[in-house]
Amino acid sequence: MSNGDSAVPLLAARDLTKTHGMTRALRGASVELGAGEILAVTGTSGSGKSTLLHCLAGIVRPDAGVVTYAGQRLDQLPEKRLSELRRSDFGVVFQFGQLIPELTALDNVALPLMLAGTPRGDARARAGAWLERFGVRGQGELRPGEMSGGQAQRTALARALVTGPRVVFADEPTGALDSLATEQVMTALAHTAREAGTAVLLVTHDDQVAAYADREVRLADGAVAVAGVTA
Amino acid sequence: MIGMSTRHILLGLLASGPSHGYDLKRRHDERFPQARPLAYGQVYTTLQRLVRDGLAEVEGTGADGGPERTTYRSTEDGARELAHWAGEIAPPAPFVTNEIFAKVVVSILSGGDAEAYLRAQRAAHMERMRELTAVKTAKGADLATVLSADYALNHLDADLRWMTTTAARLTTLTAEVDAA
Amino acid sequence: MRADLRLAWLLTRGSDRREWWRAALTALGAALATGIGLVIAVLVPMDGQYRLSIAETHGANQVLIGPGLLDEPGTRDGVIIALMLLLLPVLGFLGQCARVGAVHRDRRLAALRLAGATPAQVRRIAALESGLACLAGSAVTTVFAVLFLLRVWHHPDALAWAGMAQVAVLVPVAGAVVSALSLRRVVASPLGWIRRTRPTRGPGRVFRVATGLLAVPAVLLAVSTVNGDPFGLPLAGFALGPLTVFGLCLLVGATAVSLAGWSSRRLGTALAARTRNPAVLIAAERLSDDPWAAARTHAAVLLVTVVGTGFVGVRQALIAEVNAVHAHHSAMDVSYYRTGADLAGAAVLVSFLIVLAALAVGTAESLATRRRGLAAQTAAGVPRAVLGRALLLETALPLLPGVAVAGAGGMMIGVWYASLAADRTVVPYPALLVPLAVYGCCLLAAATSLPLLRRSVRPAELRYA
Repeated sequence: MSNGDSAVPLLAARDLTKTHGMTRALRGASVELGAGEILAVTGTSGSGKSTLLHCLAGIVRPDAGVVTYAGQRLDQLPEKRLSELRRSDFGVVFQFGQLIPELTALDNVALPLMLAGTPRGDARARAGAWLERFGVRGQGELRPGEMSGGQAQRTALARALVTGPRVVFADEPTGALDSLATEQVMTALAHTAREAGTAVLLVTHDDQVAAYADREVRLADGAVAVAGVTA
Repeated sequence: MIGMSTRHILLGLLASGPSHGYDLKRRHDERFPQARPLAYGQVYTTLQRLVRDGLAEVEGTGADGGPERTTYRSTEDGARELAHWAGEIAPPAPFVTNEIFAKVVVSILSGGDAEAYLRAQRAAHMERMRELTAVKTAKGADLATVLSADYALNHLDADLRWMTTTAARLTTLTAEVDAA
Repeated sequence: MRADLRLAWLLTRGSDRREWWRAALTALGAALATGIGLVIAVLVPMDGQYRLSIAETHGANQVLIGPGLLDEPGTRDGVIIALMLLLLPVLGFLGQCARVGAVHRDRRLAALRLAGATPAQVRRIAALESGLACLAGSAVTTVFAVLFLLRVWHHPDALAWAGMAQVAVLVPVAGAVVSALSLRRVVASPLGWIRRTRPTRGPGRVFRVATGLLAVPAVLLAVSTVNGDPFGLPLAGFALGPLTVFGLCLLVGATAVSLAGWSSRRLGTALAARTRNPAVLIAAERLSDDPWAAARTHAAVLLVTVVGTGFVGVRQALIAEVNAVHAHHSAMDVSYYRTGADLAGAAVLVSFLIVLAALAVGTAESLATRRRGLAAQTAAGVPRAVLGRALLLETALPLLPGVAVAGAGGMMIGVWYASLAADRTVVPYPALLVPLAVYGCCLLAAATSLPLLRRSVRPAELRYA
């Protein structure tokens, strides 16, 4: 937060409130993400981390509060525009489930490009380059169910990054992985994001994973408990 | 690296061949990145003790045009001692001394803000973990660097987890400490 | 057993909406099967001439029971055959219902095993669950059937009562037994079937059942060459008539499944390799990954298409012929044939409706199973329209060649019959509309789950593993 005032943040949330049924997931959470910054959102389970990510990525609308991305109000955009934005400017990585089980790794990574109108051959070539970069080139023709957890997550990472997004949202991307696979996935994410200047919002309950971030925001009971230290 | 024996590390470095003090320090710092760097004085006194105990001996003295340098080499006793030490298991946490816990208790006793302390300590831990993560993910980091950074990261992570649990139980702890 | 029953009840009561859906649909299927079975049970022991009518009620019902279709033993056999054929789509529907929430149920049963239940216990509990649902359906139908029968027939035959009782009991028992058998593999491992999208197997078992059924009349025929007329025994007559047709239809169905599965796989692989459209890519890959799942539902559609197209052709020829031959006869005779044909048409229509329901249930189930993945796709910005198109294409793609071939087959039957009746080649063109209508209706049935897609892709689904 200390250096957030000098420049306009790429993505910002102010006083977000969100209720799921009877439970208040967010109660007045505020957070800012600078361009190219890697921000970790930590907290115990049930602290509202994932809901915060969903609100910031335009996947759900907050009940109250403001989300701005590159100067526009995300919480007021129509669903169609949000969907376009998620396709063009955002990338998402979840713990699992973001890969289509019936598609090969290569087609999974090529899918966002194809959705944007890239011819299949070009899309697959670019997807292949990303898989190679993340060390899963040889597994390109495998389906997600045939890969190890780490390979599947690196494929998911490739899929999130293939369109050259400005922000990657990662919700417990290593939640189902052992420590070695965690390290490989996180190193790949951090390296690529730093090189390409991609901002990353990283939701995790694991402090070792949070250590890959430039800054940390800790949630408790749906609000920011500790705004992180800046170097 | 509590309880780590500089003696044995120097003996280990000597095992690959005779060497002089400055060279040993340089190789130590290279081999154990992120460890506290050895002071030259410490290397010198340790080598003298090894010679005194018959574990190492002076091989010779040379000058090479620069300052005078004494070269040391390991003895047979030294090799035996090294083998014995290397095979010996490290005692798992023989004493539970913990500065962080001590500070929490003291701050409860003195009416201070234990929670604020834990928060600040947590932030400091995270900062150090970020540094270590940056070191290990830097381009061209070798495996020794990665593994030694991992060692520290895992310990810091364990501290963090302990701090999180402790922070969640501060009320109960305060009641217990105050009652005693 | 009492403990099992209590557990089964507790599980049913505590289960979520999807489980209730399965129970309700299963009960509905059981009710339909019982209804058809009861009518067959009443008709089979009838021998000779009857006069069935509902004198007390108004004219509409009288027309329905028809100008004497059930009075003559010959046409009665035809009705029995038609009813047995009607059982096929009902059984298919029941099979489809069993798949609603199957993944969820398999996990639940695996959890029971993990908690220490023996495989036999788990199987008993599951069998009790579906047995109870079938019992509910069968009981409702039986009560209404008994009331109806007492109005239509003042002194029903004792054999008819016995047959009805058998059907009413057999349907729930069969439901329980089938459920226990189908869980054979699930209950073997306490960890259950972790892989969600296990490919469905081909119709090998149906082939065996059909062959087994067809073996009975074959044996009877063989015996008859030694012992004389097999039709002398009423049971043998039944085995050679309706049973043979039933077995043949099963065989044709199994062949249709094989063909549909094979062509689905081919089509999926070929399209997946070439397409540039994301929706087609997703649909094609799903097809080539699990061609049997689509083929099984589609087989029933294909069967109905063959029968329906053929029927429309046959009906047209029949009516034309009746009109020509009986031009000087009374209107009563013409209406006799017309009503018979219309009743058969109604049977085809009913089975088509059942098939459509099964198709809709299947599509909805496939969506429900994948809802977390679909929610993730939407979160990643895959437009809902693409997912919706992929869903429709999964039905549309493999069905297109199948319906075309089935329509052609049905046309051949129609042309053959019409030409036979008229002594020249006649093409019953209206029959061509049937495959088109079938194709359109199937797409509509698949489209009924689109609103479910909208609900499935809600971000709240991301929260459940």
